[in-house]
Amino acid sequence: MKRMFSTLFLAAALGMCVAGVSQAAESAPESLQALRVSGKGPITDVGGAIWSQAKAVKVAMQPQVVAVPTNPTPAIKEVTVRSLHNGEWLALQLEWQDYTKSDTVVVDGFADQIAIELPVVYDEKSPPSPMMGNVGSRVNVLQWRASMQKDLDRGREMKIQDIYPNAPDADLYYTDRLSKEAGQPYLGAKGLGNAVALQGSSPVLDMMAEGFGTLTARSQPQATGKGVYKDGSWHVTITVPMAPAGENAPKLAVGGKTVVAVAVWDGGSQEVGSRKAWSDWVNLSLGQ
Amino acid sequence: MPKVMNWQIGREMDYPYEGKRPDAQFAMIIDTNKCISCQTCTVACKSTWTSGRGQEYMFWNNVETKPYGFYPLGWDVNILSRHGVQDISGPVYAGKTLFESAPDGTMVLGYLPEDVDYANPNISEDDSVGQMDTGGFLQMPHMQWMYYLPRICNHCTYPACLASCPRQSIYKRPEDGIVLIDQSRCQGYRECVRGCPYKKPFFNSVTRTSEKCVGCYPAVEQGRQTQCTMTCIGKIRLQGFISPPGKEREDNPIDYLVRIAKVAKPLYPQFGLEPNVYYIPPIHVPSPFLKQMFGADVEAAQQAYRKAADDNKLLSALLLFGSTPSIISGFSAQNGQAIAVNKKGEELVRVPFKEPIFVRPGFDEQFQTHRSNAT
Repeated sequence: MKRMFSTLFLAAALGMCVAGVSQAAESAPESLQALRVSGKGPITDVGGAIWSQAKAVKVAMQPQVVAVPTNPTPAIKEVTVRSLHNGEWLALQLEWQDYTKSDTVVVDGFADQIAIELPVVYDEKSPPSPMMGNVGSRVNVLQWRASMQKDLDRGREMKIQDIYPNAPDADLYYTDRLSKEAGQPYLGAKGLGNAVALQGSSPVLDMMAEGFGTLTARSQPQATGKGVYKDGSWHVTITVPMAPAGENAPKLAVGGKTVVAVAVWDGGSQEVGSRKAWSDWVNLSLGQ
Repeated sequence: MPKVMNWQIGREMDYPYEGKRPDAQFAMIIDTNKCISCQTCTVACKSTWTSGRGQEYMFWNNVETKPYGFYPLGWDVNILSRHGVQDISGPVYAGKTLFESAPDGTMVLGYLPEDVDYANPNISEDDSVGQMDTGGFLQMPHMQWMYYLPRICNHCTYPACLASCPRQSIYKRPEDGIVLIDQSRCQGYRECVRGCPYKKPFFNSVTRTSEKCVGCYPAVEQGRQTQCTMTCIGKIRLQGFISPPGKEREDNPIDYLVRIAKVAKPLYPQFGLEPNVYYIPPIHVPSPFLKQMFGADVEAAQQAYRKAADDNKLLSALLLFGSTPSIISGFSAQNGQAIAVNKKGEELVRVPFKEPIFVRPGFDEQFQTHRSNAT
């Protein structure tokens, strides 16, 4: 069943990819240039002086209308992107206007999110589909979630009272009385190490994909970042190592070239998953 | 979109995946006439499966009072109003299923409940359809009515949750038809919560993934019935497997009650999911309400159930509810007893049609006291 479904989607995705490339040719966005800065390690600065020299590129966001469910009228139309690197880590700063800060997740409450994707192997003549790659042409997807930023800023495990301040605890949580190993089956996704359920290590999910529905956490996640909400806008920095550990992440060289695409979700408009806005590839060169 | 055969609506319908049935299909029959809403099933399920942080208001099994009880609030009237008026009169459903009603850019017609809809899991408990006028309780049938509807995931043949998930994190097990959400792949998009008309996938705000009834699969794998079935003090449930259409076995109690005696009916078959929890409809409730909930031929089910005492086979199947913790594969009626066997043909239990009556003297000579219960 699944195979047939995937095949149908892939065919649609490839068709759209061709259309997307031809559209892009008409109004190609400016190229991003990652200036080299001094320093070592992850670049998680948001809005500091370090970014003042980086060229801002406005990236137009498009409705996702290929994969079901679609999002024909996305809330966010444009994201401003800047880039830097220090020879070890590449960073992108993404800014967009969003008057409804959404960082609490309940059944009908969605968090603001933004993601960048990079081809795992960049071939200028035949890049992957900008819509999450395709079979044989994988992409590294790095998604920052406002809810995970909130977890990190809180500095401790989330409790039910963080969502519902007046909620009482249950009489007994088995995990409070059991050993870590015995309690693991009672933790659901958290017990299985699902990256979306783990809190407090990074606000950025480090994943790979080779088409719609294939998004999978990398086995050795390294990406990190930081998001700050200020004056009606999100300012988010996502940073990745240029020589990553493990598979399914690109090796980036000083002076090299690649492409990057952006996807963004407005939690206040109940955007999540494929209900998103996406961009075509933007050229990215890494300065000497 | 592929066409699949849905026997409950008597026709083929659109579904995003090909119609391959599992080797065995998990099924349950619930006798609404015997439910007293004691919530023992709910507590058994909760203490087994949903005791964690983020699951405080999550009930994979719940019992609600119909017509005004809901969990989550208004779940069925909300989707029924979106579904619109459909022709449910004939044996072949003339209306549209939820898959056939899907708006552009979606897989299924659905809606996302509000967070507050889960805040009162037992809202409107025991509310009947109206005030009872003076003397009304002496009339037959009663002017006012209500009944209890126990609910778990229906482990549908054509699950809308599975169809809605854009990343195929939901799967239907080929060995028993149980529908599960892969907790290692779920990204918490809540498309399943939106898509399931029965609102049985739940969002966990702490793990930020969706979770649902797992059909007590570790028990089922061992040939044991689910927790909600085994703990039911009223013995209102029977859990086992239903055969594919056309391959019914008369000695399988689930097949017999659903397809042959036709006393057990699916919940909202017009949605098109082919749900596999079947209900013996309440015999005191007006049929116009029940037709919308259980299908056009609900009156025949009510009549058959009323005559169960005169039908040894039907009586046998009904007596086996709650009689054994093991999954019943076959049953028979012999010498005034209902006999159940497992899939190896080993006898599980015998239930007499009539309980023997023992009459004791009203006065206990040994303890020199009067007995309050002499039979």
